[in-house]
Amino acid sequence: MLQILIYGAVSSAIYAMLAVGFTLIFGVARILNLAHGSFYALGAYSAYVLTSVLNVPLLIAAPLAVLIVAGFGVLMERYLVRPLRASQLAVLMITLAVSLAVEQALFITFGSEYRNVPSFVADKLTIGGVDIGGQRLLALVMGVLVLLLLWLFIQRTRLGAAILAVSQDPEAAQYMGIPTNRIFSIVMAISAGTAALAGILVSPFLTVQPTMGLLPMVKAFAIVIVGGLGSIPGSIIASLILGYSETIVAYLISTSWTELVSLVAVVVTLMIRPAGIRAAF
Amino acid sequence: MRQLSLIDIAGGLVVIAILALAPVLISSNYLTGVLTVCVIYGIWAASWDFMSGLTGRENFGHSLFIGTGAYTAGFLSSIWTANPWYSLPLGVVVAVAFSILVGFPTLRLRGPYFALAMLSTSAILQRLCLIFWEYTGGEEGIYGLDPLMKTPLYYYWFALGILAVTVIVLTLLARSHWGLLLRAIRGDEATCQAAGINVTFYKIVSLMISAGFAGLGGALYAHYQLQVSPPLFSVVVSITVIIMVYVGGIGSIYGAAVAAILLTLLTEMLRGFGEYRLWIYTLTLMMILFFLPNGLIAPLWRRMTERLR
Repeated sequence: MLQILIYGAVSSAIYAMLAVGFTLIFGVARILNLAHGSFYALGAYSAYVLTSVLNVPLLIAAPLAVLIVAGFGVLMERYLVRPLRASQLAVLMITLAVSLAVEQALFITFGSEYRNVPSFVADKLTIGGVDIGGQRLLALVMGVLVLLLLWLFIQRTRLGAAILAVSQDPEAAQYMGIPTNRIFSIVMAISAGTAALAGILVSPFLTVQPTMGLLPMVKAFAIVIVGGLGSIPGSIIASLILGYSETIVAYLISTSWTELVSLVAVVVTLMIRPAGIRAAF
Repeated sequence: MRQLSLIDIAGGLVVIAILALAPVLISSNYLTGVLTVCVIYGIWAASWDFMSGLTGRENFGHSLFIGTGAYTAGFLSSIWTANPWYSLPLGVVVAVAFSILVGFPTLRLRGPYFALAMLSTSAILQRLCLIFWEYTGGEEGIYGLDPLMKTPLYYYWFALGILAVTVIVLTLLARSHWGLLLRAIRGDEATCQAAGINVTFYKIVSLMISAGFAGLGGALYAHYQLQVSPPLFSVVVSITVIIMVYVGGIGSIYGAAVAAILLTLLTEMLRGFGEYRLWIYTLTLMMILFFLPNGLIAPLWRRMTERLR
């Protein structure tokens, strides 16, 4: 029982980090970013290159990797997405193209074999008789911390207020003197950075390989649909629902069926409450 | 949309004649094989274009229908050892069933739900193929399907015939009252709804038609390869089809089919580039998005034949 509680919390935290970035950039800039999964993969691979190839200490490598990926996200938004923003379809196409290009680039440089990233914490902890890897616990703690910081940033700072303003009406925000395009860049950096952090945190205990981004991104889609597109609280709640239902299914039935959970969740949500749980707030 | 003129029909006939005669003139099994794949991609691209090109609802998981059609053929031929000819109609039925499953909840809604759901469903099905390897053969897939025809050449002609039928049927549908409604939906969905058109119904039925042809193509492909494997469900297959339609000119159907054939041939020529091939593909897509938003084949054909009308 306790095991389900802890493992469910860990996967929920990771899903939430992915989904919040995805929903944030959609809510603010109306960019449906199909390259979100490649940020996650790029985060893990940057950490791998920095630690295992360049021998940078892990505690420096991790923030550096986040910065690299955030920079990549900003460049992508500036030079590839922004010129095409007029058409939603073109944005979808270009971000999907970027995600494929990244996947192929990783495949060509690193091959398809699994890579290892060292753990931040090697110890195992025992909580109430349940063994849990320290790395998983760290992912949970970091996830909660990042979401909390993000919430404080958006609710309590001037920049956060500007982001909220742009998400409500970009044109009006522009008239009020808010530099909309710069806000898009900042939000893209945050979105890419959180996805990269999620990738770095899971890389020691999940497999690092070129296609690793696709499935988590599909989960992020599912969460965002269940939570309501563009809603941060909605996607956090949906992450908890999905993370826990997957863990419960894995324990009660088998891990094979976990992949179906998100699919069923999406179909059920769209059938009975297309606006997602956001509508409840 | 302009009238179908004699020159279009003549052009179509010439293309079909060239395609039919090419493997006879240059007798090589390799060429016949490549052309068979070209023609099957043509079916996939034309079927994608019918739904997404006309209604403007972008389908990012066409491989879902392709894969289910192919796997139906695989299960049928290898596990239940039925008459292999059953797999074509059954592939269509299964693909259409999946299109209802995804289309019904998502096409009622505005917003990107349909695109996301298609992409997710195809990705999850690919994953399920690997997880339930006892039934699907896992990574290797299902081997040893029965060929439908005695020689590869006959099979190529058969596939070419199906491509011709696909393009003709879809073009006629696209030019009918029905196609006009679909294009009106792309133009302004709210107005269509206000005019009393059951928008959702038209979108779902057009997705079913699109899925049916894609499933048929999938089953054809399975009986050409004599094997099916999980990459059939991959995002790469979907995006390849979308690139073909973009190069052909979205909403034109014949352009999509011709572009699919040319691009598949080009891919064969690029085989020397090995793993860089997909890169070249992706870069092509980016270039087209930036510089040729209307595509290449259909606008070119229109310009070339302008004088002759």
